[in-house]
Order: sequence, then C-alpha cells, then structure tokens
Amino acid sequence: MAQIAAERYTGASIKRSEDPRILTGGGRYVDDIKLPGMLHAAFVRSPLPHARVAAVDVTAAQALPGVVAVLTGADLAAITIPGPDPLLAMMGGGGPMPEYSLLATDKVRFVGDPVAVVIADSRYLAEDGCDLVEVSYEDLPPVASAAVALDAGSTPLFANLGDNIVGPHKRNEFGDVAGTFAAADRVSEFRIDVHRHQNVPMEGRACVASHDAGSGVLTVYAATQSVHVTRLGVAMRLGIEPDKVRVLAGDIGGSFGLKIGASREELAVAAASRALGRPVKWVEDRGENLTASGQAREESFDVRAAVSDDGDLLGLDVKVVVDTGAYPVMGTMVPSIMEAMLPGPYKLGALGFESMAVATNKASYVAYRGPWASETFVRERVLDLLASDLGLDPVAIRLRNAAPRTDPPATMITGRPLVGVTTTESLERVAELVDFPAFRRRQADLRARGRYLGIGLATFIEAAPGPRSSDEPQGPMALESMRLRLENDGIVTLFTGQMPHGQSHQTTLAQIAADEFGVPFEQVRVVVGDSDVVPFGLTGGSRSATMTGGVALHGARQLKVKVLDFASHLMEASARDLEITDGKVLVRGDPASAITVEEVARQAATGQFAADVDTNLAVEATFDGGEGGWSGGTHCAIIEVDVETGLVNVERYVAVEDCGALINPAVVEGQIRGGVAQGIGAVLLERSAYDEDGNYQSATFMDYLLPTACDIPRIEIEHLETVPLDADVNFRGVGEGGMIVAPPTMVSAIEDALAPFGVRIYEQHLPPARILELIEAAGRG
Amino acid sequence: MPDITVSVNGAARTGSVEARKTLADFLREDLDLTGTHVGCEHGVCGACTVIVDGRPTRSCLMLAVQAAGSEVTTIEGLAPDGTLGALQQAMWDSHSFQCGFCTPGFVMQATAFLSAHPDADEQQIREALSGNICRCTGYQSIIDGVLLAAERGRQG
Repeated sequence: MAQIAAERYTGASIKRSEDPRILTGGGRYVDDIKLPGMLHAAFVRSPLPHARVAAVDVTAAQALPGVVAVLTGADLAAITIPGPDPLLAMMGGGGPMPEYSLLATDKVRFVGDPVAVVIADSRYLAEDGCDLVEVSYEDLPPVASAAVALDAGSTPLFANLGDNIVGPHKRNEFGDVAGTFAAADRVSEFRIDVHRHQNVPMEGRACVASHDAGSGVLTVYAATQSVHVTRLGVAMRLGIEPDKVRVLAGDIGGSFGLKIGASREELAVAAASRALGRPVKWVEDRGENLTASGQAREESFDVRAAVSDDGDLLGLDVKVVVDTGAYPVMGTMVPSIMEAMLPGPYKLGALGFESMAVATNKASYVAYRGPWASETFVRERVLDLLASDLGLDPVAIRLRNAAPRTDPPATMITGRPLVGVTTTESLERVAELVDFPAFRRRQADLRARGRYLGIGLATFIEAAPGPRSSDEPQGPMALESMRLRLENDGIVTLFTGQMPHGQSHQTTLAQIAADEFGVPFEQVRVVVGDSDVVPFGLTGGSRSATMTGGVALHGARQLKVKVLDFASHLMEASARDLEITDGKVLVRGDPASAITVEEVARQAATGQFAADVDTNLAVEATFDGGEGGWSGGTHCAIIEVDVETGLVNVERYVAVEDCGALINPAVVEGQIRGGVAQGIGAVLLERSAYDEDGNYQSATFMDYLLPTACDIPRIEIEHLETVPLDADVNFRGVGEGGMIVAPPTMVSAIEDALAPFGVRIYEQHLPPARILELIEAAGRG
Repeated sequence: MPDITVSVNGAARTGSVEARKTLADFLREDLDLTGTHVGCEHGVCGACTVIVDGRPTRSCLMLAVQAAGSEVTTIEGLAPDGTLGALQQAMWDSHSFQCGFCTPGFVMQATAFLSAHPDADEQQIREALSGNICRCTGYQSIIDGVLLAAERGRQG
C-alpha cells in the first residue's frame, strides 16, 4: 500500500483501511463463516399476537431427513438458566422483572415470538422442518396498544406481574413546577406521538455457535456491538463461566443499536450447539428481522408548557408512556434518559416529568440510534407550536430560549452543566446559510402559484460523552481501556473493545495513534472482535470518539515514553533528547542517529539487557473522558409538499454541527448523513405497523419502506469547532445526532409548508396519505 | 439434483443443485464466493446483485438452475489480481461506504450501469441505484464515487 503523506493524519479525511476488503467482496460477515460439521437453525414463530401454547408436536419435523433436532421452549428451558434479557439484567431498568422462557413455553406474546428451533443440515431443510412443527394455540385477547395495556382489565402478558405495567409510574420535579405554571402568561397543552419504527441494518442478527466438549469452551461468532457484553449474556443464560465463552466478531453489516448483548434466538442457538456438540449457524432473514428483531420509539407524550407572551419557555410538564412491546429490554430504561435530556440546550427553569412503561403484544422495544431522541422531538415540536401561536419565527424563539454560553456554564434544570454548548452559534449560522428572508419571499411567490414550500429547523445536544461529572455513578463504562504494543516488525498494535460496524475505527484510531506515537498510518494495526484478546468495551452511545480516541492518544503517548526509555539504552542518549518521527527514533536534530522502531523492538526482544532495563514495549492504558463535552448542532430542511399527492420532496438540507475536533472529516460527515437519512426515512416512510388486533403489517421491504438514493438529498454540512475543553482530547461523538434531530427538522418544515391550510402537527410519521388527511382535517376546521 | 455449469468470473463452474436453490446461495455456499450478500431475499434491497450475461440481476430471485449456461460476474471478479478496478478505486477515494454489507450490490449495479451509460449525470445515477438500499451512508458518498469514476473514465 502506498504511504499516505500528511503532516498529521488526525483531522484529515484519510481513506479507510476497511475499504479494500469490503470493496472486493473480502469482508467477513457471520454468514460467510463455514465450520466443519456446521448445522443450520430456523425458528418456528408465532402467527398470533397473544395466545396460550396448548401443544407443540415436533414428530413430523423430527422425521424429516436432514433434520437433526427440534428443540421446543420446554427443551431449551431444561438446558438454560431462566431470567430476563441479559442486557436488562446487567444494566437494570428498575421495576418489575417479567418471568419468561428463552423460547415460548406457556404462551406467545407477539407475532414472530419464537416457539421452537429446528436444526438441520441446511437452512432450506431447517425451514422445511419448521413447516412440519404443529403448534396448537388458544387465542388470548391481544394487548395491541399502550392504551389497552394501561387498562387494569387487560390480559397480563406475564403471569408473575398481574398487570401490564413493566415500568411503574414515576414523577420527578426539577425547579418550582407549580409556581412556574401558576405565574406564566399562558399554559399550552399538546399530545405528541412518536411512532414505532426500527433499525433495519442491512445484515440482520446472526451467529454461529460452536461448543467444544473437550475444553468446555463455547465459541460464538457474533454480529454484536460488544463481544464482551455478548460473552456475559451467553455465560449468564447458559450457566457457564464467562471464561469458557469466547466471542469473535468480524465485519458487521450495521446495527444502529440492535445488536447489543445476546438475543433470545442467539442464546437458543448457543444452547443448541452445546446440546448437539456441533456448530450451529443462524442468520436472521429479512422477515424475521422486520418482525422479531425489535422495534423502537413508540411513545406518547402529554405536554404542558408554561410560556411568557414574549416567547420564553419557562416550564414543561411532560407525561410519557412507553410501549415496550413484549419482552422488556430498553423501553424501561429510556424514560430516565429522556428526563435528564428534556431541557436540552435551553434555559428551561422548571420541569415535571412523569413516566410509565407498558408491555404490549408487539416486538420488543430496542435501542435505536439516539434511543432517547423523542425528548428532542417533543421539545423542538413544542417550540415550533409555541412560535406559531405567538407569531415568532422558529429561529427567534430558539435564540431567545437558548442558554447563553457563560463561565461558569449554565446548568440544565435536571443537573448537567451546558459546558461548551454552541447552540446559539449553530442557530445563527444555519439562519445565515439558508437566508430566511430570501426564502420567505420565494415561499410567498410560489404559494401564490399553488406550490407549497416549507422551511424548518431543530437543534439538539448529545452527551457524547457529556460533561465531566464527579457525582454520577461510575459504572463499567466510565473508563475506556486499550492495550498497545510495539511489535517486532515495527507495527504498533492497538487492542480495543470497540466493535465497529461501519464507524471506521480501524482507520480513525490508527490516525490518532500514528500521530501521537510517530509512525506512518500504515504502521498501526487496530485489533477488534475477540473477547479473549480485547479489553471490555462497547460501540454505542456515540462514545468512541472521545473515549476510545482519547485512550488511543494517551496510550500511544505512554507507549512512546516506554519505547524512548528503552531506546535511550541503545542509543546512549537521554530519553529526553529522543523523538520518534516517521517510524524512526532519533536524537533530536541529528538525522544520522535514526534507527527504526522496528529495530528498537527487535533489540528489546533479544533479552540482552540488564534486569533494570524495561524491555516490555507494551502498555495498558485507560481514559476517563477527560473534560468530556457535548456534541450538538442545528439542522434545517427546505421541502416542498405536493398537496395533490401528499408527497414531500426535500429540496435542501443543511446541518451545522459541533462535535469538537474532527478525527476524520469524511467519516464524521458519513455519520451525520447516515443519521439524517434515517431521520428522513422515519418521517416520510418508515413505520413498524400493527393492526388493532396486534397483527404485524410491515414484514417485507414492500411494506416497511426505506429511503433510497432518490429520497435523500445532498446534505450540506458545516462544522463548528468552537470550544476546546480538554488539553488533548476534544473529539466528540457524532453517531446519533443526525437521527435525533432530523425528525423534528423535517416535521417543522412540513408544518411550515402546510401553514396556509392551518395544519398543526403533533406526530412524527407523515407519509403522503397522512399529509392529505392533515390537510383535509384542517380544512374541516 | 440437476447438474449445472455456469461461467463465473470467467471460469466454468459445475455443481449439483436442488432446483429450489437460489443463485445467491449457489455462489455463496457451493462456490464459496461470499462477496455476494443476501439482504432481503425478496428482490428489494439489491445487496445480492450480480451481473448475469451483462445485465445486473438479483441473485436472490434467480434460481441457480436458471443460470446454467450463463456468464456470471460477482464482486470477486472485478479485482481478481487484488488491484481495485476504476470504480472501486473511486469509491474508496470517495469514502463511499461504511459497514460494507450493501457494498457488493452497489458496486455490481454501478458497474453495469456505467458500462452502458458512461456519461450519466447525478440524477441518472441516483435513479439507476435507487433499487439498492444502503442504511449507513445517506447515499451521497456512493453517488460521489460513481460520479468520480465516470469523470475519470471520460478523462481516459
């Protein structure tokens, strides 16, 4: 490979080292793994939303040539440990813990709920076997909505709970809520709904499990955001020691929050491999992915806003109900993050926040890129609705309410300091870029000719990683670890717990380490995806830029100190006078003294040194996030609604974003555009639809519509790098912001386009049919 | 099971396949050409696109037996000696992809399209690739890669 010439790699759009393999078909995804003697799994799934399982007859399936085993829920219950979702068990959601088995035993709780697994010589035969499994169901009344679940008379999904409340009612108040509402000029009330939609990575969930009876080691080839979280989940539910589980991961075809830990199906496959003594592969097909992998974001919000006649948002009182679907994972954890984030970058002085989470007969509520994002949707929607009531423009109401950047920083009413937040700057820059007055003139001209353009914007902040805080609980994620080693061939190897699935860590971490240590980019190797080798970690929560970028920087710095200390013995010079440049150690100012780091490493390996010379050219580094900080920004969309068809065309989309110092601008911009595309899809196309009886309606790509190259415009991006907070590490995460802020941006623009009809929007999913309904309903007044 | 012979990336490949086996599964399982990815198995996402007798084809919707006697090009056939082709190079230069799962389908679709329409503009490229789904990128970087390859092609 040709060497890349750059003064510094960090900050440059270095071409990705991942690309040569993925562009040539050389990527290695789970489905590409073939092990000797490997069998294939397929699941028998419930066609009903809620039913008692009266009997499962596997006789015919077991008799089919090529079928090796059929395991029912009862079979698996006998060889696994009962308990909730491993991730929920590890992180704790509070509240009641429903009891259920790995595969359904007594009852099924959503369309797609796995009832049995057929293991066969090929996937084709395994699916043939599924067709022969006879399940007798007795229908139960479906709990197909949160409203039904909240009814004390609804049929409980879980026998041990007695009702369908899985996240009990909580209310917290910050500031003087009653006083603020009593004193406000006006109080407005809104009911805002966010619809169910989902991650849809192009590669679904997948695993190959291979149990070795001799060593007792279970190897799981996984598509996961963390090999260690998957390892702990498998160990917990299979009842084996974590050190007997090895999780390996190669290339992963996207995730967006879906592939964390170990799903019920993956645990069943692992248990089947152990029971049968052979490797077993399961690769989710698209129907399974859309039906059963998990869905996100079905929440409803009752909002009261206390506001002054001038447009000051003084207080919010918000009641949220989360529809967690059937098997609680993330849905009970998300309200507390929404509560903490609801004030956003604004001066909001009082917040009341109430939450409940309910179980329904739908797929489980899972994490999806910015899992708490609905708080931003609600807040930004409320600001637009208030602006329209008060005759303010959307920029003005936000500028008026944004907390000023002061020293010491303003603090969110829920507690966290808004240190380094550049909301005002991003709002002002967006307004400049799109030229609001010129747009308003064009909009008026075109309206006169029957064309309906709209402009909308929204702003957000994202704790990526968030400001430094000493009083928050320090969980296992508070520190990021990395091992770094100078190899005998001169390669600097980084071992990271990050598990990239599109984030380009093998490029970005190498950029940082190459600069800090002093070797060419090509001389850094980033090792991921082996729980026996890499430290604990998780790719998620937009944490890697700061946390892993930071530990790569500090770790490379520590390794460099070690290498120079050792080289000082070789070079008969003080370590203080040595430097590493372009892969060579030299006495500063004396090019003739240079020796390669490869030579230094080889010398260290000879062992020909006194005992007090440290020849171990490796370090184990940790990083706590340094001064941390927020990412954030403002997005703006200009759209046109065809009021005859309800179709929305996105004419222009502008993002002004502040994620601190950029490691690799092309990677950052790819993350932003990808998130925005998902947000545009969520508003215009995507919905995980159930009918009123709980039957799933979106099990194919003809029903669950994803945006294509014709739906997503060019996205203009401008970066602010306004406030360095840390002496070294000012990279901040950027993975989730696009998906958090694009939905309110798009809805804002659509509402603006439909203003002549008097349309006000309290929801997020606006496909053509819905837009026509809104126009018609507003016309009826 | 029927015996078939298919020319794959210029070499004759034979196999005994069940009539129901898809071309995608034949390529991946029988020939170990795992660069062709299966993304939806109902012809919408385009990840499994290969070129059959010069035409971009969804290998999840074609049976292996239907490909008997045909010439099939897969992603592995574009850079047989390890050197990236012009389109692949332009996509690398443009940071076209992220997770890489949809990549082979886009590369094959764009390869077929560019060979027929070397002067295509952005809108034509968007339309030509609108049957391929990428969930990571928002498409702009992919379109930019194809535009760059077309431009370099014209400069010869």
